[in-house]
Formats: sequence, structure tokens, C-alpha cells
Amino acid sequence: MSFILRRIATTKTGKQIVRDQPLDGDTITLGRDSGNAIHVADLAVNPQHATIASADGRHVRVTAQAGLGFDLNGRTLDVADIDSAAGAELRFGGHRLTIAREGEDIVLLVERIDELSQSSKDVDETRAFSLAGVLPGKRVGAWTFALLMLLAFLVGPIWAWHSYRGVDERPQGFHADQAWLSGPLSSAHANLKGDCQSCHVEPFVAVTDRACVGCHTGEHKAMSQAHADAPPAMLLAARAPPGVGGRVLAGFAHAFNKPPGRCVDCHSEHEGAGPMPATPQKFCADCHDGMAARLKAAGFKATVADAADFGTGHPEFRPLVRAAPGAKPGRAALGQGAVADYGGLKFPHDLHLQANGGVARMAASFRGRYDFGKKLECANCHRPEADGVRIAPVEMERDCAMCHSLAFESVGGVTRTLRHGEPDQVVADLYAYYRSTPPARPLQLGGMERRRPGGYAEGQVYNIYFRERAARPARAADAVRAVFSKGGACYDCHTVVPPAAGQGWQVEAVHQTPRFLGKGWFDHDAHKETACADCHTTAPRSKQASDLLVPGLSQCRDCHVGESGARLAKVETATASPCAMCHEYHGDGGKPWVPARQRRKPVIAITGAQTRALYSVAWRAPGAGGG
Amino acid sequence: MASLFSGKILRRRARATQTERVRERRHEGFLRYAGFRWAKISGGLCLLVIVSYALIDVQPRPNGGSWYGYTLGTVGALLILWLTALGYRKRRMTRDYWSLKAWTSAHVYLGLSLIVIGTWHTGFQLGWNVHTLAWALMMLVILSGLYGVIVYATLPAALSNNRDQMTQMQMLEAIRAFDRQLHAAAQPLGAADTAPVLAALEEDPFAGGIRARLTGRYPRCATAAAQRALAAATGGEAEARAKVVALLTQKQAALARLRAHLRLRALLEVWLYVHVPLTFALIAALSAHVISVFFYW
Repeated sequence: MSFILRRIATTKTGKQIVRDQPLDGDTITLGRDSGNAIHVADLAVNPQHATIASADGRHVRVTAQAGLGFDLNGRTLDVADIDSAAGAELRFGGHRLTIAREGEDIVLLVERIDELSQSSKDVDETRAFSLAGVLPGKRVGAWTFALLMLLAFLVGPIWAWHSYRGVDERPQGFHADQAWLSGPLSSAHANLKGDCQSCHVEPFVAVTDRACVGCHTGEHKAMSQAHADAPPAMLLAARAPPGVGGRVLAGFAHAFNKPPGRCVDCHSEHEGAGPMPATPQKFCADCHDGMAARLKAAGFKATVADAADFGTGHPEFRPLVRAAPGAKPGRAALGQGAVADYGGLKFPHDLHLQANGGVARMAASFRGRYDFGKKLECANCHRPEADGVRIAPVEMERDCAMCHSLAFESVGGVTRTLRHGEPDQVVADLYAYYRSTPPARPLQLGGMERRRPGGYAEGQVYNIYFRERAARPARAADAVRAVFSKGGACYDCHTVVPPAAGQGWQVEAVHQTPRFLGKGWFDHDAHKETACADCHTTAPRSKQASDLLVPGLSQCRDCHVGESGARLAKVETATASPCAMCHEYHGDGGKPWVPARQRRKPVIAITGAQTRALYSVAWRAPGAGGG
Repeated sequence: MASLFSGKILRRRARATQTERVRERRHEGFLRYAGFRWAKISGGLCLLVIVSYALIDVQPRPNGGSWYGYTLGTVGALLILWLTALGYRKRRMTRDYWSLKAWTSAHVYLGLSLIVIGTWHTGFQLGWNVHTLAWALMMLVILSGLYGVIVYATLPAALSNNRDQMTQMQMLEAIRAFDRQLHAAAQPLGAADTAPVLAALEEDPFAGGIRARLTGRYPRCATAAAQRALAAATGGEAEARAKVVALLTQKQAALARLRAHLRLRALLEVWLYVHVPLTFALIAALSAHVISVFFYW
């Protein structure tokens, strides 16, 4: 028996040349060192790596010398006994030692099976030199990302919608379709953030009015009464024929199933947190710009004038006035000469607002007692309503009586005044007064000293006094006549009708119009930083109470310009004014709705200014003032 | 008639080929293609969008849901789909219609114009939702593409300098040659000295993750470690060791060249691993964005 070392070389043509070399001895050595019987030029093999020995010529014992072992059947061993008839494959570094038996010989086949180095291995050039080897493929990434996106942002939201179909209100918490929220909801609807379906009921159907009135059951349920009463043909005729762009947009809106005229046309949502924005001007001007001509052409009667933009195209105001004493209120056209409004009072504004003269002097004399200055101001007589929007009607007792006193007697320190607004009562009170009170008692009748007789003679003090006393009740008629006649307390301010058959003294009814501009909303409170006379320019020159002092359009336009700043004349501090600033569409009587950030802060609360209380009217003894 | 027609086409084609030749001679790249034709078109488009956005007063505020927003959105979405089609176009060899260079030029410049079209479509209203997600993905895709354009314009020169007229396989072959020499030269060394050499041989020149590829830094390089270890080692076989150390130094230089090459290639390629997957993510998000608008109409 002997060991045969077999080496196989491969020629360039691929032909294999097998060389067998018999090895002497029972024990042969294997290692990197050239002195070994089996010389393995492999750095992974020790210089003296192993011995291979066979005692019986069949069984082989392989023993590793030191340190590195060898691999047999996947395990690293130091010693192995091998039956050469069964054969085995051992691994030393990058080489394979195959032990086999051929006849009586044990054949040892040594081959390099591993590449010399890692770099010697075959590489796929395109893959190895690119990033393909170190990053997941682009295609994998593309599919993964795309699927994730579709799952999270398409399937998820639709599933959320589907699972709450027909449910009145979704539970709080996260719902996948919140990822579709196109912008924050207005503060009024902020709690609907998680409940898309509260408005978007059906898929691919634009939000309907039904979704709105589902909650808005009271106010704003329908469109404006004025518009709802108009026949649809009239509403259609009022609309301006759309231009090319408008027709294109309408075509798109139709094609994509977005019907016009819904609540959301004006009340747009998802425009950002905070209050919902005011309706833009164009929603009004679409019809009201040039509407009269269109209505006329369509055979309808135009009841309102055209309006396009407050700065450039707005009709003159038509305040509610009584054109003649006792007439019914009607709309007057401003800007065409003086307009008279007969309310039944006599009141010269110019006299009361004069810087000098009797009124100013009287007002100045009351300084300290009332909130008067050196002269009378508008606010001394005109008081705003509690909400500050309008000016309250003037009340005689509160606003006039501090000067125009109706006091006539003081009983035990209590002042008695004539009953304002009740002429019959005035008459009765005066009669009672003259009946129950004696004339002023002459001084000579006082005291306890004895008087000489003769005092009753004609022209003497007793005679005069007692005759006067006897006649006193009859003087009442004169006093009544005086009060109601020129120079009397009533006559100064009121139109008095003398007694006729069957009735006594009559005072013409007084009408104070609480709101001159019924269709527009004017808020005095919002203008409190402006002096009254800046707008009511004619007041300081007005001689008659019948002069209408309501400002016209031009006064408003001193500050207010169109929504986008359009104006006819130069304006110093311009306030952009869309229709909705003064006009209320739904017509439910309220103030036009304004976003909170545009609302004015209540200045009173900041400055602590006090509103005026009732004027207290005190009796002034006629004797003190000499009258 | 037919022959006249085909003759016309032939002449036109001949003229086009002539123009193409001139361009080839001038080495006109996709960036300056046809005298920056697509740059001008794209710039004009951006200007048109910016000016019209300023002039058109959308009430109550600029919004993707206004008619102007829908117009920009439609243009943007179609543009995205067409830009994606470059992947299809470049795989299709054709002599007709546009050259790939023209297509790429248009892809780059129209893609950049999407920054304006897409952003102005939002009306500058961004939030945590699918709509903004689509916008953000679009911006990432555009920015990665912009990076790609910049590296395509700047890195090839560095790549060319580094390879020094060698092919990639020649670079690898040089390393293989040093490995063989190292293997032979290290045979006389003892076990302690062989281990680092063996580690250097076992080192895969293409090893290292994306980080190593992009930075070109390999702090645990076995070849460098072996060189250090053997240079510091003492003991017998000093002559053989000196030879091995010299070979290791040479191998290091060859490795450095290969690694610099790999780094430049990684820098040239990495943007596509963002650009392409995010494009498809974008198209998915865009679909969700469009469907969501109509679903909750």
C-alpha cells in the first residue's frame, strides 16, 4: 500500500491533465512549507499543518499539528479517522483534500477550490461597480412606496368613509380621511374636523344645501326673503350673462357636477382656522351690476337701483322721511335738493350748537351740574342705544328738560312738573294749581302788629290781595293759554292745535325715525372715533327740525371704498367695503355678519367712559332768579 | 403624391440629421440643447404663472380649489406624468420624433418649472395632509433631480481623471494581480504575519454599505491594517516581509483608485434611488390627492 498524490491541472483549452505521484512512507506531512510531502501553497495553511497516516493501508488518520484544524463535513476537527474506501473530503484553507481508494492505494487529490483572494472572484461588472449591490432596487422601492401611499391615503380614507356611512355623528378620534382635510375648518365648524361626512355625505357629489340646513334649522335656513319671493325667471334674468371665462367655468362646473346657487358658493370652507370669511362682493354684483336694464329687458319691474361696487357704483341713499307734516313715511332721494323730514318738532340745530349766544351761555352755566362744556355738543342731547348701533329717540324728560324745564311748583321740597305728552293733564294740573294756591301774600299782610282800618278800601293792600285771591281760579285759563301759545313752554318745541269744538288743546304728534336707512346697516359704534359733524355736516347750520341731517353717499365715500379699493375721488384712509359690510343677505333683521378679527373692540370697556344717566331736574324758585 | 410626400419627409430628415451632426461636433449637452430652448420655454412658463397669480385676485384667498388652482393643478399633474415618461422613452430606441437629448433637456427644465407650478397651485396653503404630502414628494423628486443634473455636469471630469484611462475591470484586475503577488510573496511568512495578509486577501473590494460608497471612507480596511501590522512586525523573514509590505502599499493605492471610482459612481447614481421610487410614490400620492378632491367634492 502507498499514498498517491494526485494533482489535476487544467490547460487553457480546458483539458485536464492528471498527474499521479506516489508518496513513500506510512505518514506524510501536509503544509505550506516546501519541505512537506504535500506542499499546499495557501496562506491559510500552516507551514506544518497536518500529518496523514495509515497503519493498515485502508484507514487513514489525519491529525492537525497546531492551531488551525481542518474541515470535515462542515465541522472543524483536529483529528479524524477516515475509511478511505468510503472516501472523504477535507478542507485546508482554500484547498480541498479528497481521500479515495483506488485498488490498494490511497489516492490524495489536492485541488484549490477557493479563489486566491476575494477580489479574484468573478464579478458582474454592471452590478458590482454600481449601487445596485448596496441599495434595494429602484423598482422595489417604487412599488413599495407607491403601495404604501395608496393604502394610507386612498384606501384608508375611503374605508373610513365607508364604515361610517349613514351614521349621524362619528365618534371622536382619528379617522383616516382626515388626511384629506384640505385646510383648517372655520372656528364655527372646527368640531367637525374628524367628521368629513357631516358635510360630504355622498362621494363624488358636491356638498348640498341639505347638509347645511341639517344643522342650521333656524336662522339662515333659506335664501333671502327678497330673493326667495322673486320668481325664478326673474332671478335668472337678473344674472349678468357670463363672459367667455364665466361660460368656460360654468361648463366645467356642470361637467364636474358642481351645481351653482348652493350655500357653499358664498360660504366657503377650508379657508383657514378662525372665523369664516365674509362673502365676497362678486356674489352680489353678479346680478346687481346692471341689473335694472336686464330686468326691464326681460319684462320685469326693477325695484332696486344697480349696484356694482361701493366705491364706484352704488345708488344714492333713499332714507325714510315724512315729506309733509303728518304725511306717511316714504323713501326720499338724496342728492336732488334739500330733503325735508317732518317729525312734528321745532328744533333749530344751529341755535343749539352755536359757540356763543344764549344757549351756549346757559349750557356753560350748568357746567359741573351736567356734562356740559362751554357750549352744547351733539352728545348732550342725543344718546346711543344700549348696543351702540343707533341713536335713541330724543326723550324730553331726559334730553331736553335740563334746560327746558316744565317745573311749576315745589311742595315740601318736591318739584312738580307739567305732565309731558299729556296736554289734557297739563290743563288739569294748571287749573288745580290756580284753584288750590293763593297768590303770593303781600309782605304788609304778615306779622302780628295791629293795622289801621281802611286796608280794604279800593286800591289798598287788602282789597288788592283779596280781590286777586277771589279771582285766582279764573286766572288758570290765561295760564293754560299762555303755556300753549307763542312764548309758552309747549309752543317753543311743539306745533300746537288750538281748542276746537269738542276738544281741548292738541299737540301735534312727534315722530322720530329710528332707522332712516332700512336696507343698509349703519353702526354708530363702529364710527365712534369720528366726530358727529364729520358725517352730519349740515347739522350746525340747520335752522329747521325738518332739515334731514342723514349723510349722503359722498360722506361715506370719504373713507369707504370698494371691496378692492376702487374709488371715485381721493381717499386718505380707505376702508375696503364689500357689500356684506352694510347689507345682510338672508334678511333676518340682524347686523351683517362680520368676522371677529374685523370687529371693533368695545372701546368703552377699555377707556371706562361712562354713559350719561338721566338728567335730574330740580325746581328753581322763581323768586331766586327774579322771575 | 406619395413620392412627393415621402421626398419631403426625407429632405426634412436629412436637414435634421445635419443639425444633429453640428450639435454633436460642438458637444452640445442636454443642458444647452438647441440654445437653451427648453430653459427659455420653462422660464417663460414660470413667469406666466407668477405674473398671472399676482394679477388674478382669487376670493377669498388663493387656493388650490379655485379655477386658477385647478388650472395649475391640471397642468402640473399632466406634466408629472409626461416627465415620468422619460423612463419609458429612454428605453425605446427610435430615430423619429424627439431625440433623447431633446427629451432629457425638456425633462430637466420643465421639471424645474414644476417648482413654480406646483407651489403656486397650493396657494401657499400647506398642512399635514395628503395634498401637502404630494407637494413635498414632488419637491423631493425635483430636488433629487436637480442634484442629478449638478453631479452629471461636474463629476464625470473627476471620474475620468481618477480612472486615468483604465477601465473598471482593469482597475479590478490590478488588484487581482497584487493579490496574486501578495499570495506568492507571503508564502515564507510565519503564521502571525500571514493572518493579516490573508485578511487583506479576503477583503472584498466592493464591500461596504451605502455609507462607505458615498463617503469613500473605509476605516476598517484590511489591506491598510495588514500594511500597518507588517511594517511594525519584527522577527524572521524580514526580507520577505518587506516585499509584502511594499506589495500591500501598492495594493492600497490600487484599492484607493477603485474606491474613489466607486464613490464617484455612487454620487452619480444615488439620486436615482431617490428620484425614481419617490416619483412613483408621488404618482400614488397625486392619485390619492386628485381622487380625494372629487370624492369629497
